[in-house]
Amino acid sequence: MMAAKMFTIHFYVTFLLFTIRVSSSFIDYGENYRRNVSLELNPGLNSSLTPPPLGVGLIHVRALGQNDTLHYLFCSLGAPALLLVHTNSTSSKVEVDWPVFLSANASGSLRVTPESTVLHRNALIFTRLWEYSDVNDTAEPELLPFSSFFQPYELQNFTWGDLRKKLDPTAHTALLCGGDSSESFSNGSLCLKFSAFGSVGREKGWPSLLHNANSSQVRVWLDGVTPRSNRSRFSLELQSVGSTNPLTRVNVLQSIDDEYTPSIFKVAQWVSSPGNSSSPILSYAQWKPVAYRKASPVFEDATPCHHSTPVAIAQRPPSGLVLAYFGEGRQTTGLNITFSIAGDPFYNTTNYLSCVHYSAERGQCHQGIPLP
Amino acid sequence: MADTEERQRLLDEDGDIPSSRPINESGPGRPMSALCDPSRLLHRLVVLAFMCFLGFGSYFCYDNPAALQTQVIQDMNLNTSMFMQLYAWYSWPNVVLCFLGGFLLDRVFGIRLGTIIFALFVCIGQVIFAAGALLDRFWLMEVGRFVFGIGGESLAVAQNTYAVNWFKGKELNLVFGLQLSMARLGSTVNMNIMGWVYNRVAVLVGSVGHTTLGVSLMIAGATCIFSLICALVLGYLDKRAERILHKEHRGTGEVIKLTDVKDFPFPLWLIFIICVGYYVAIFPFIGLGQVFFIEKFNFSPAEARAINSIVYIISAPASPVLGFMVDKIGRNVIWVICAVFATLMAHMMLAFTFWNPWIAMSLLGVSYSLLACALWPMVAFVVPEHQLGTAYGFMQSIQNLGLALIAMAAGSILDQRGYLFLEVFFSACVCIALIAVVMLYFVDYLRGGDLNLSASARAKLHLKNSDSDSHITAIPSCSHWHTEVY
Repeated sequence: MMAAKMFTIHFYVTFLLFTIRVSSSFIDYGENYRRNVSLELNPGLNSSLTPPPLGVGLIHVRALGQNDTLHYLFCSLGAPALLLVHTNSTSSKVEVDWPVFLSANASGSLRVTPESTVLHRNALIFTRLWEYSDVNDTAEPELLPFSSFFQPYELQNFTWGDLRKKLDPTAHTALLCGGDSSESFSNGSLCLKFSAFGSVGREKGWPSLLHNANSSQVRVWLDGVTPRSNRSRFSLELQSVGSTNPLTRVNVLQSIDDEYTPSIFKVAQWVSSPGNSSSPILSYAQWKPVAYRKASPVFEDATPCHHSTPVAIAQRPPSGLVLAYFGEGRQTTGLNITFSIAGDPFYNTTNYLSCVHYSAERGQCHQGIPLP
Repeated sequence: MADTEERQRLLDEDGDIPSSRPINESGPGRPMSALCDPSRLLHRLVVLAFMCFLGFGSYFCYDNPAALQTQVIQDMNLNTSMFMQLYAWYSWPNVVLCFLGGFLLDRVFGIRLGTIIFALFVCIGQVIFAAGALLDRFWLMEVGRFVFGIGGESLAVAQNTYAVNWFKGKELNLVFGLQLSMARLGSTVNMNIMGWVYNRVAVLVGSVGHTTLGVSLMIAGATCIFSLICALVLGYLDKRAERILHKEHRGTGEVIKLTDVKDFPFPLWLIFIICVGYYVAIFPFIGLGQVFFIEKFNFSPAEARAINSIVYIISAPASPVLGFMVDKIGRNVIWVICAVFATLMAHMMLAFTFWNPWIAMSLLGVSYSLLACALWPMVAFVVPEHQLGTAYGFMQSIQNLGLALIAMAAGSILDQRGYLFLEVFFSACVCIALIAVVMLYFVDYLRGGDLNLSASARAKLHLKNSDSDSHITAIPSCSHWHTEVY
């Protein structure tokens, strides 16, 4: 009967929408999977030791699960770095030999014990901020001559604000803001906001990445920095160091759902997986390829980003954390994320640019599709 | 289709223009060249050409915002809901004007002066719109669209009236079809050319910005000047023909009485719901479609504009063909069901899959043409002759009201929730239309009505009724249902 058919069509539309929303969290990690999250600054540093210089700090977040622990270490010594260590014990802890850690030869001064319980470790480092003059308005820096690029801002040379003041132990967030000594940063700063999560949820502000108990997030934004040309565009360089499996390739996943990031239908994942592409992914850094030109963006303030192919890098990243934990001689890969596309307004229209990265460890008992 | 009935009626009263030799001022017996002789086909073809181009400017400029969506939004610093106001303001005057347009043309201005006035409104509206961009004042652009709207829809009424005046008889359907194709040609040319025009102007001006936008819109306004010239020429030729042939002046033929609204039968209200539910999922979607195709399907801006215009490109040839088919086969309700269902499928394909969007958009184009050919004539089947003008006027009125409101809602939904939500919203609107048309089928079936008759059965019914029929005056031409919504 036509009437019955009519009902089916109607129902189908609602049902499909319902399925999409529910399954995205159902398949992955289960809504009730939680971790007990605690945050501390400078673990093991007591008053008898020389305190680190202003702006340098090590944040340790411990996300305790039922029979495993995730350690997140966010450090501003050198280039800002986020280290993820997954252990299969609930009593693993981080030990820092502070005098060695703050010295020039810090190799081995940071350990996660007992070391036999460590399953996987990976670090994401924010190394450089590139600025180039996009004379042809193509937003493709890899095609531009070297002369279009200005001297990059080395994040290892930045001076950061005091971490103690910008820590929120209940919300498990920390804010790192700073700049270098050049004129461009006289009225502006580059900020990184680190957040750790113990359960499934989404942030309010765009791009509202879906996070769960196995992930942490870094939001990067550039506010009020004076551009060095009228046609400046920016590009952020990220590097990654892993144990045996560094992050090697970027998967771009397409999704029909743009509810939380209107008009962006893709997610990019920089994954580490041992062996060939069919083996399970151990950890990944994920972002939506969109940046925003205002602090409270509306639809028109979104600007797409694109990334370059990850390449192997000969030197280790200039981060104290990586040196302390991994020592020398680890495989490093890096990529650039370029903001804006051809035809979009340049940085000087709003003097603001923000981008969110999300770093996660995939639990071993769960298989699943990547998060929307 | 209403045109079939029209044709029969007009043939009954000996519709051809009298072929007696024309009388001109210098006395009887002096023949004029075929080109200048208003009773000869060649002259009427010349007039047809001017008639077709009369509406070209208005359709070209109607979709200027859609063709330049990203540029308008960036240069004027808008968000999507403000951008959609440009469409909403076009529709607002037509909520009222659909009733008044025919009246103004018949009683107040006369067809010639009325056409020129409305063409002037179109020109002035577009100039104000462009000036708003040049001066970087968005409120002025909205005023421009409002003025443009006053002229645009009424100009379509005038175009139809001219067509009836000059081509009553066998050629009327062809003329309507041609006018419609020209309208769609205007929209298509706009979609595919304005981006290029903008880029060239940007090179000339030196940068992008509201000045570049303003200049591009002024250039688009040249088509409106062209339409105005056509209106002036048509006025002259019409006056001349009237003088030479002593032609009786036909009006728009409609009688609008608002009190008739309370007598509208239930099937007619269902037809109104179908109309509103369907068209609000087409025009606002085309208005916002460019960025959707760029972002989701990775099209280039030029490709995105091209695919956005495919609905219009397809409807230009498809409408006459499908109209002919519906004429021959009848069964209007079934065709409407097919068209609405196909549109629902097209929207769901675009929302939930990554299949090549050319498929979905082509489907949308065909179903849009099919619906127009099958839906609008149904009004003539359910409503008596003397209420036809009011019924069509009311239908256009609420369609414009629906478009104005939904255009704003669509912009706001997109701003906050993105394209998936927007597509689901449009699918819901089409679902409402689908429910209404299914109800219409049953209501008509159970009441033993004649909406879904085959063409032969309807012809028989008509012959049976034509003996007792008195002579008919009202011709349903208020509507740009012939031109715009086709």
